[in-house]
Amino acid sequence: MEEPRIGVFVCHCGINIGGVVNVPEVVEYAKTLPNVAWAEGNLYTCSEAGLSSIKDAIKKNGLNRVVVASCTPRTHEPLFRSTCEEAGLNKYLFEMANIREQCSWVHSHEPEAATVKAEDIVRMAVARARWLEPQDEPEVDVADSAMVIGGGISGLMAAVSLASQGFKVHLVEKEPQLGGITRRLGKIYPTLEDSSDIIDPVIKAATSNENIRIYTSATLKDISGYVGNFKAALKRGTEEVKLDVGTIVLASGALNYEPPKGSFQYGVLDRVVTQLQLEEMLTQGKLAEPERVLMIQCVGSRTGEVWTYELSDMTQSFAARLLSKILGAKKEEGWPYCSKICCMNAIKNAIRIKEQWPKAHVDILFSDLRTYKEYEDFYRKARALEVKFIRYIREIPPEITEAPDKKLKVTAYDTLAGVETEFLCDLVALSTPLCPSKEDVMLARMLKVPLGPDGFFMEAHPKLRPVDCQSDGIFIAGTACGPKDIPESIISAKAAAARASILMANKKLKTEALTADVNTDLCIGCGLCEELCPYGAHKIENGKSKTIAALCRGCGVCAADCPRRAITMRHYSDRQILAQVEAMMAQ
Amino acid sequence: MMVEKSALVIGGGIAGIQASLDLANRGLKTYLVEKSPSIGGRMAQLDKTFPTMDCSICILAPKMIECFRHPKIELLTYSEVKEVHGSAGDFTVKVVKKPRYVQADKCVGCGTCADHCPVELPNEFDSGMGVRKAIYIPFPQAVPRVYTVDKDNCLDCGLCNSVCNAKAVDLEQQPVELELHVGGIVVATGFDTYEPFRITSYGYGKYKNVVTAMQLERLLSASGPTGGRIMRPSDGRIPRTIAFLQCVGSRDQRFGYPYCSSICCKYAVKDAVLIKEHRPDSEVHIFYIDLRVFGKGFQEFANRAKKEYGVKFVRSSPGEIREDPETKDLTLWYEDTLARTVRSLKADLVVLSTALMPRSDSVELAKILGIDIDRFGFLVASDPVRHPVDTQVPGIVGCGYCLGPRTGDIPDSVMQAGAAAARLSEILMAESV
Amino acid sequence: MSEVESVPSAGGTAKAETPKFDPRILIFTCNWCSYAGADLAGTSRLEYPPNARIIRTMCSGRIDPVFVLEGLRDGADGVLVTGCHPGDCHYVKGNFRAEKRFHFLKMALKQLGVEEDRVRLAWISAGEGEKFSLLVKDMTEKVRELGPSPLKSSNIKST
Repeated sequence: MEEPRIGVFVCHCGINIGGVVNVPEVVEYAKTLPNVAWAEGNLYTCSEAGLSSIKDAIKKNGLNRVVVASCTPRTHEPLFRSTCEEAGLNKYLFEMANIREQCSWVHSHEPEAATVKAEDIVRMAVARARWLEPQDEPEVDVADSAMVIGGGISGLMAAVSLASQGFKVHLVEKEPQLGGITRRLGKIYPTLEDSSDIIDPVIKAATSNENIRIYTSATLKDISGYVGNFKAALKRGTEEVKLDVGTIVLASGALNYEPPKGSFQYGVLDRVVTQLQLEEMLTQGKLAEPERVLMIQCVGSRTGEVWTYELSDMTQSFAARLLSKILGAKKEEGWPYCSKICCMNAIKNAIRIKEQWPKAHVDILFSDLRTYKEYEDFYRKARALEVKFIRYIREIPPEITEAPDKKLKVTAYDTLAGVETEFLCDLVALSTPLCPSKEDVMLARMLKVPLGPDGFFMEAHPKLRPVDCQSDGIFIAGTACGPKDIPESIISAKAAAARASILMANKKLKTEALTADVNTDLCIGCGLCEELCPYGAHKIENGKSKTIAALCRGCGVCAADCPRRAITMRHYSDRQILAQVEAMMAQ
Repeated sequence: MMVEKSALVIGGGIAGIQASLDLANRGLKTYLVEKSPSIGGRMAQLDKTFPTMDCSICILAPKMIECFRHPKIELLTYSEVKEVHGSAGDFTVKVVKKPRYVQADKCVGCGTCADHCPVELPNEFDSGMGVRKAIYIPFPQAVPRVYTVDKDNCLDCGLCNSVCNAKAVDLEQQPVELELHVGGIVVATGFDTYEPFRITSYGYGKYKNVVTAMQLERLLSASGPTGGRIMRPSDGRIPRTIAFLQCVGSRDQRFGYPYCSSICCKYAVKDAVLIKEHRPDSEVHIFYIDLRVFGKGFQEFANRAKKEYGVKFVRSSPGEIREDPETKDLTLWYEDTLARTVRSLKADLVVLSTALMPRSDSVELAKILGIDIDRFGFLVASDPVRHPVDTQVPGIVGCGYCLGPRTGDIPDSVMQAGAAAARLSEILMAESV
Repeated sequence: MSEVESVPSAGGTAKAETPKFDPRILIFTCNWCSYAGADLAGTSRLEYPPNARIIRTMCSGRIDPVFVLEGLRDGADGVLVTGCHPGDCHYVKGNFRAEKRFHFLKMALKQLGVEEDRVRLAWISAGEGEKFSLLVKDMTEKVRELGPSPLKSSNIKST
């Protein structure tokens, strides 16, 4: 390594630093430090004048490292780094010493102590600067094609969005036909349009786009590689298809939960159906005019909820049932989350029934009615059509028994009336949640996309990156990461397409310089780094750890835990950090 | 026809910021116009976000800085869009940069001017709970970090000018008119919060200890006017019994708005948990009609609030709030619809979970852009189901709460922003590869 | 930084200079949360004792126990490791790893006679400027009471 020739620039920042810290003293002190070839004070180092001064000093004094002692690196580090680059220095040969936010601004009552601290901070920065090395930001190529897994509305919309921007798309669908769950819906809410009016044009747009190749009755068999360079293998019947793609959009959708047999008499009495099955019956004209239809919300969702009620006027038998239920509570079947769309779906089917048969009665047993946003109007419409909404207790599943004349008797507690009520109806529709499919587990493992606690695919960050997966280059659309209605699915699909298009449009991806570097001579292949890395950046191959730089984010967890100290973090090496530790105390 | 491969984003909240980043990263030069002195929007005013309880500004600030530094994004803060002509691929936009009376290229954000300014007035950012000077930055993490003079309240004493070492103050500064040529426009102007003065039975504006949820948010914020201590307005005491009233101005056909604002139940649960964390022995009651904690992780979050934190949920819409004129404590009268009894609760602080409504300037902006708004003032999507982010004007898209409540939370706004960016990319970058 | 106290000694009232012990506190911060929290303390002008020296890494998960031990040996009287709150880690779970490692480090330090309050772990978010300043104050005072570190190389007699 070349002999370090360090330039130190100490900023007054007007009076922000200069009013507390004795800047000229710090400059003189810096000159005494080994390897410091130049030191000066600036009024505002970040100003045009200050930046020119840095560039001049680098050139005139042959500086090969620069330390700026001023404000927090979180604001101006990129600016100073660019300045160094302009003067011919690699930007990673630059270090900042924070003597404002972490010194002058918090010790304004102790100027002498602040000055000593500033000198210490500069000494530590110089110590680190000695060990800095130039770093490269390696580039990987990004193939301009994407693979979309899933041919429902989300997958189709994502594919069309990407294809219209000129990217090649390979769409993989495991069923023989496209359309997903949207196909099975007769009508959509709140407009009550036919769902075919929504999905058919999208299917047509996808099948007629020459940039989209569609593989139906096909599943993903294997996948390897990393962002920009994924290698996928599809299985279609006996055929195997190999694809090279740059990005992946996961739009594998969700299932409609079916209660276990016997639960709510589902699978036992044929007049107990799920809301989706009722939907299909209405669309296919398989339902004769009913006298009364009863719908039960939150079946198999919101499990794990425990609410206590103060109930006056309970019937004795009901109180006994309540008590025994609480005491003998076995784990509820189903899912803990709220599936968001079931309230609207039930109301939609209720309205469909009332509009077709105005004399039919429809009762909806609900726990909380979640008709959010302007869907309130839809709720009001149902009430105007005399759909009855009864608040029941979700934790006490209504009892359903057969009654004469092919009727069903449903007993539930009406909390607002304060009595247990019996309903005699022709059909019971259970509103069940959208849930993850068991196949997701395999997909998750193949793609290295983790599943969240609710069983759906987990996003990289729920707020800031809601359509990204933790692994770069893979994006999620639609219900694969949680229940959504159609407009929300379309929005997430387009957002996922936007993210994928950014990667592919830029053709190359600059990856982090702050990456892990494994010394294979020391590595014993224990696999701890592979286990610890949240990004899958380490792989044990032939008994040694191999790093995929494109995936490494530079956290350094592997380096700190490696039992052989075989891993060096570029720009945050042990040597560099320890130099700061050692320099903490004045010699 | 020449297609301008550039975009204008109107509004610098999280939706506008995300749209700008997605557009700029896609290769489109993007102008981000923000009316107030800093980008950040509502998210910067929040303490923590539901349901994960992330610190809001911690996750927002890096995105704000990324916008600021992005080579393809030009930030035009303290600016307004005045005229728009043209069509998709070729819009001409007139933007006015309002005078800050501070030169942005000279100001280093040190704050010496504000220290010396003699004028103190209520801070909009703190929803009136805190103060600022006539020369100010709206919040500590403001981007850009440039001070602004509120000329309406400035005394013209010139003290700021005399103490500024960077010689950045320019009290003669004039507005600057810019003409931008862009291919597409994204509207991301967000929302205002409903001020329930008209619901007189709740005493908002009359009783000091009846506050809105946004005001509570500022009190809870570590960088807010009370440093994160929930000190009630009348006497600074830390409240022990707090009541949240849901649906104030939402789902209401008399006052406020008939729609559901989608996020109030969620933020009430979040704030209740935060209050319990600040003071575990406090009693927090949430009065609701339907508890709308739908979506990813929310039901589980509400369950935890009840089980682990002991937040009490009461299914009721209280009729009236009365104030004790001496202690300024409040009494709520309500019918518990599940227990079917009428009760009262004495509370130290009442928080009204108010509706989120369209911004007052949405009507004017819609006119300038030639797009439709609904009867409330929200932008109307050209087809709320099939084209949820498109407006009636091709090339103009929207994202975030300005399009109405929708799911309403941050992930939803971020996804809508991505969708808006995708739409503009589809229109403007059709032959790019 | 030192105060002069007059110390009565046997045989007269000669003034002796006994410096009041000023501890040196080494603080490790992570780029995304605790370093930003420290910055916020600065932006908010919250004063705290000038005894701390801060080292920044990208993640608290980078902190090797060797750094802490080296710090104690090189002169730190107290070491504070800080990072993002659980669940907030920019790199998903680096802070969980830091916590696990820290747990074992504390057990080892106990064996070496290092007191409980000398080496600490704390979570500071980017919005917790005040918490950071209070933490530094608290740490400084507690370590001041404990006196110089038993692991300081100057305190360890060579064998």
